[in-house]
Amino acid sequence: MRGLEKGLITVSAFNEVETIGGVVREILDEGLGCDIIVVNDGSSDDMESVLRALPVTVLSHPVNLGYGAAVQTGMMYAVRHGYDFLVLMDADGQHVPSQIRFLLEELRRGKDIVIGSRLSDNSGSYRIPFFRRAGIRLFSFLAWILGGVRIRDVTSGFQAMRREVFTALSLEYPVDFPDAEVIVMLGLRKFKVAEVPVIVRERQGGVSMYATLGTVLYYPFKSLLASFIVLLRLVRNRKGG
Amino acid sequence: MSSQAKLMITLLLLGNAVLVVDLLRKRKLTESYTLLWLFVLFGTTVATWYDRFLIYLTVFFGAIAPVSTLTLLSLAFILIMLIFFSMKISRLNEDLKKLAQELALRTVSIPTAETHPPGGEKGGGDPPS
Repeated sequence: MRGLEKGLITVSAFNEVETIGGVVREILDEGLGCDIIVVNDGSSDDMESVLRALPVTVLSHPVNLGYGAAVQTGMMYAVRHGYDFLVLMDADGQHVPSQIRFLLEELRRGKDIVIGSRLSDNSGSYRIPFFRRAGIRLFSFLAWILGGVRIRDVTSGFQAMRREVFTALSLEYPVDFPDAEVIVMLGLRKFKVAEVPVIVRERQGGVSMYATLGTVLYYPFKSLLASFIVLLRLVRNRKGG
Repeated sequence: MSSQAKLMITLLLLGNAVLVVDLLRKRKLTESYTLLWLFVLFGTTVATWYDRFLIYLTVFFGAIAPVSTLTLLSLAFILIMLIFFSMKISRLNEDLKKLAQELALRTVSIPTAETHPPGGEKGGGDPPS
């Protein structure tokens, strides 16, 4: 297993003109010694011009491909440029850059992927709405049953991972709502998954991708189906040798 | 099936065949799809006029009239085509995603010394221990 010398922080952003500048500056202020990229997922607002004024590498999708695709582009960049570890962050200001250290500490203890959990007493002032919290618990249970991974917050996009993990995920990553499905996938591939409590803030701007009625109806069924399919593929692959 | 019904079905199928060929002429349809549709239209025409096989199927399905069997077969064909096109769209979505990602990776915008002089912003330094 390689060391953890060269790190990359990737921020996936779609129409986050209000928050992206603050998020990037806050990461820079932390002085983590990691490179930073922002993946602009085909934003229709003025985010691109804000990004040009910032000292970060920008990858722009010509059209909006979805959150998962933006994350995957960041992973592909990390693979091609030989990074040892990758930190995933959202651009809405919820994830606090000072918490990255805690994720990396756990990674250094030998974990393959560390998830920043919002479901702990130390998560600051952030309060998850009741139904979303119930959904998270349901999918955490699903990840445990199907993937054998016991973590509380499977839907957190605040993650740090080793090269082995993001190399595998760069080849296959869900386009939308890559939550329980990814954890199940990693669990079945025997990666060491851990979570650490992190401080999370309220969203600083923009609109959550979980906010529409269509999403509320689609998301649980999609995640359930996708997780079962991951399991089915693995069983089939094992039978096929 | 009455001759009038056969004639109406044939006219409908002929109209469809003209439409499909016209779409190919206007480059709105590829040759492969045009051929597929022409074969289907031809097969349906044959089944309409030489209806012995259709009558056999009607008895087999327990339907009342050959027209019902034809409708059932059409519905099955439409469902198969819809699944086929869903697969095609999924495949095209995946191709589009790969292309867009590849484009983003090849046209990456890196901050230069001109636009962002060193020391202008904080960052870098040693990784946390």
